[in-house]
Amino acid sequence: MSIRSIAAVWAGKFTTKILKIVGSGGTSLPGKIVLKMCPNILQHLAGDMKIICVTGTNGKTTTCHVIRDMIEAKGNTVFCNDAGANLLNGVVSAFVSAATLGGKIDKDYALLECDEAALKSIVQYFGEKDVTAVVTNVFRDQLDRYGEVLTTVNKIRAGLEQLPNVKLVLNADCSLTTSLNDLPHSAIYYYGVNGPLYEVTSSDISDAVYCIHCKTKYKYNYHTFGHLGGFYCEQCGYKRQPVQVGLTKVIEWKDASSVVEMDVFGKKIETEVCLPGGYNLYNALAATTIAKLIELPEEKIVSVLGGLTTHFGRMEQVKLGDGTLNLVLVKNPAGFNEVLQFLIQQKPTGNIVFGLNDNYADGKDISWIYDVEFERLTEHAAGAKHFYFTGKRAYDIQLRLKYADFATEKFSVEKDYKTLITQLQQSGEQTFLVLSYTCMLEFRDKLSEFVPLKKYES
Amino acid sequence: MADKKELHICHLYYDILNLYGDNGNIRTMEKRLAWRGIDSKVTKLSFGEVDTTEEYDIIFIGGGQDFEQELLVKDLFEYKADWLKGEIEKGTVILGICGGYQMLGKYYEAADGTKVDFLGGIDVYTTASDKRMIGNFVYEYTRDNGEEFPIVGFENHNGQTWLGEGVKPMGKMIKGYGNNGEDGTEGARYKNVFATYSHGPLLPKNARIADEILGIAYERKYGEALPKLEMEMEDAALNDIKKQLGC
Repeated sequence: MSIRSIAAVWAGKFTTKILKIVGSGGTSLPGKIVLKMCPNILQHLAGDMKIICVTGTNGKTTTCHVIRDMIEAKGNTVFCNDAGANLLNGVVSAFVSAATLGGKIDKDYALLECDEAALKSIVQYFGEKDVTAVVTNVFRDQLDRYGEVLTTVNKIRAGLEQLPNVKLVLNADCSLTTSLNDLPHSAIYYYGVNGPLYEVTSSDISDAVYCIHCKTKYKYNYHTFGHLGGFYCEQCGYKRQPVQVGLTKVIEWKDASSVVEMDVFGKKIETEVCLPGGYNLYNALAATTIAKLIELPEEKIVSVLGGLTTHFGRMEQVKLGDGTLNLVLVKNPAGFNEVLQFLIQQKPTGNIVFGLNDNYADGKDISWIYDVEFERLTEHAAGAKHFYFTGKRAYDIQLRLKYADFATEKFSVEKDYKTLITQLQQSGEQTFLVLSYTCMLEFRDKLSEFVPLKKYES
Repeated sequence: MADKKELHICHLYYDILNLYGDNGNIRTMEKRLAWRGIDSKVTKLSFGEVDTTEEYDIIFIGGGQDFEQELLVKDLFEYKADWLKGEIEKGTVILGICGGYQMLGKYYEAADGTKVDFLGGIDVYTTASDKRMIGNFVYEYTRDNGEEFPIVGFENHNGQTWLGEGVKPMGKMIKGYGNNGEDGTEGARYKNVFATYSHGPLLPKNARIADEILGIAYERKYGEALPKLEMEMEDAALNDIKKQLGC
C-alpha cells in the first residue's frame, strides 16, 4: 500500500464518521473524496481478494443478498456495497469502510452490486484479479437515462471487456444477456428456467424481438416473462444455451415463497425459495450458480434458499395498527409486471396503493406505465376495497388504471404521505403498496414516524 | 336494431414501434370508443404484412429503437410505402409519434451528411443534432375552428425536424423543445395526418386530442359528430403536470 492510498482510506473513513454524526445516510461522498486523492484505490484495496460483481437491469440487490448468505453459509467472509449505492463512488465507499486504517481488507470476498452504466468505471481496476460477473438480465429501464436496451447491453459489454479472465454467470433465458458470451472469459456458466413459469404468461417480449446478431425475429419454445424464455433464431442459429443451473419445476406457489425443483450441475434438488414471485426465482438461480462455484454443498444451498428473509423495499412487511403494509418496489415494466403477477396470486381484498414519482432515480419519463399490463390484474383485484394513488405522478397512474377498467369509484389520489398512512392505519386492512424508487424512500421516511422501521441498508 | 358502429384501427409495426408505452394510445382509442358504445377493431401489421384492400379509419405509428430502423425502412419501401402514401392523400386519419413521425417525412440526414430516405408522405425532414431534446413538454394545439387546447407529453429525440411548405405545425411550444428547439413549432399536420414528438402515451391524458382524432375519423365514416364524453380524470392528470411544469 502506498502512503497515498492509506491517506485516502483515512480521509474516506473520516468523512464516513462525520456523515454518521450529522445523521446523513449519504454513501457516495466518502468515495468521491477517496477517488480524488487516489484514483486507482480499488486496485490497491482489492489486493488478491475474490470479487463477485452483479449487474443487469432487475434483481441485482436481491441476487447480492442471496449470494451473501451463500458465502457466509460456506463460512467465508464478505463485504458488500449498500443497496442502491452501486455507482463507482458507492463501491469505493464500501471498500474504504471494509479496510483497516492500514489499508488492508480482511475478507474473503468483495460482493459488488454494479449499475450497468457504471460497471466499466468499477471493474477497470480489476483486470488481472479473480472476478466472477453475474449478469441477471437486460430489460428496458428508464430509457431517458440509458437510451435503448442495446445501449445497456453495450455498457455491460464495455465493462466486461476490461476483464479478460472473468468467470461469466449469465441468464440463459435472456437473449440480450446471452449475447455477452462472445467476450473473453476463463469460464462461463448459464442459469435459467427450463420451461414456462406460469399458466398464462405475459405477452410483452418487445424488449428483444429481433435477433441481436442477424435481426431475424426470434422464435420461442416457451416464455417465462418479458422476453425471457427458450428463444432461438432460425436464421443464424443463435439460441438459448444449455444451463448448469436450471429450474425444472415449480411444485407450489405460496404467498411469499415457492417450492421448486432445480437441476444444479446435473444434480436434482428440491427446495423452498423464500422470496415472493417468479422473478425472484431467477435471482435464486443466479445465486445458486455462485454457490456451486464456491463449492457450497447442496444441503446448505437448500437451507439458505429456504431461510431467506425479505429485504428492504423489494417486499417488506410492516405492521400498522390492525393491518399490515406490504411494500413493494417497482422500477420498470418487467419488474412491475412481475409484481402484478404476484398480486394476481394474492387476490387482494384490502387496499392497494400505487405510487409514482418522476425524479431522476425513478426515470423522468413515466410513459412506461403503459407498458405495464395492469389489465391482467383487473379482475383479480375486483375484491380490493380501495385504490390509492400517490407520488408526484399520482394522477397519471390513476388514469392508467381507469384505462385498465378498474373500478374508478374506489379510487382516491392522496399525495400527502401522512394523510395516506393515517387512512391506511384507520382502515385496519392488509395493504399492498407498489411504489417507484424515490416514492418508496419518501413514503418509508414518513412511515418511520408511525412505526419503527429497519434502516435502509443491505 | 341498427348495426353497431365501429372504427377500424391499424397499428402499424406494432411489434417494433412500441418503445415507450405506445400501446397506451391504442388502448385509449379502444376505450374511449367503447365508453361511447362504439366498437373498434384493431389490425396489427408487422414486417412483410400489408393488405391494400382493407379499409382503415385510423392508422397509428409509434416510436422505436435505432436497432430496427434499417429493417423498418427496407420493409416500408418493399411493402407499405405506396399504400401508406395513398392513405395519407385520401384523408385517412393517421397518427405518427416520434420515430413514426420522422418516418412519415422525406428523409433523415445523419451528422456525416448521409441520408436515409423515408416515406415522403408529408413535407418534413429530419436532421441529426448533438442536442438531446428530452423532458416533459407542453404545446398548444389549434383546431381548424381556431379553438385551442394544451397538449402535455414527454419528448426524447436528437433529430431536429423541419417543416416544409405543405404542412402546418401541430402546435406551438409553450415549454420544451418541440420539432427542433429553434422555431417554436411542434409536430406536423397535413390533411388528416397528426404527427408529434410527444412520445408514448399521448392520448390517455390528452383526451381532447384523442377525441379530435377519433372525431375526425368517426365523422368521415358516419357523417355525424362523435358523442361527447367526460374526461375528468384525464384532465386531472393533464392539469396536475401542467401545474408542476409551471404552465
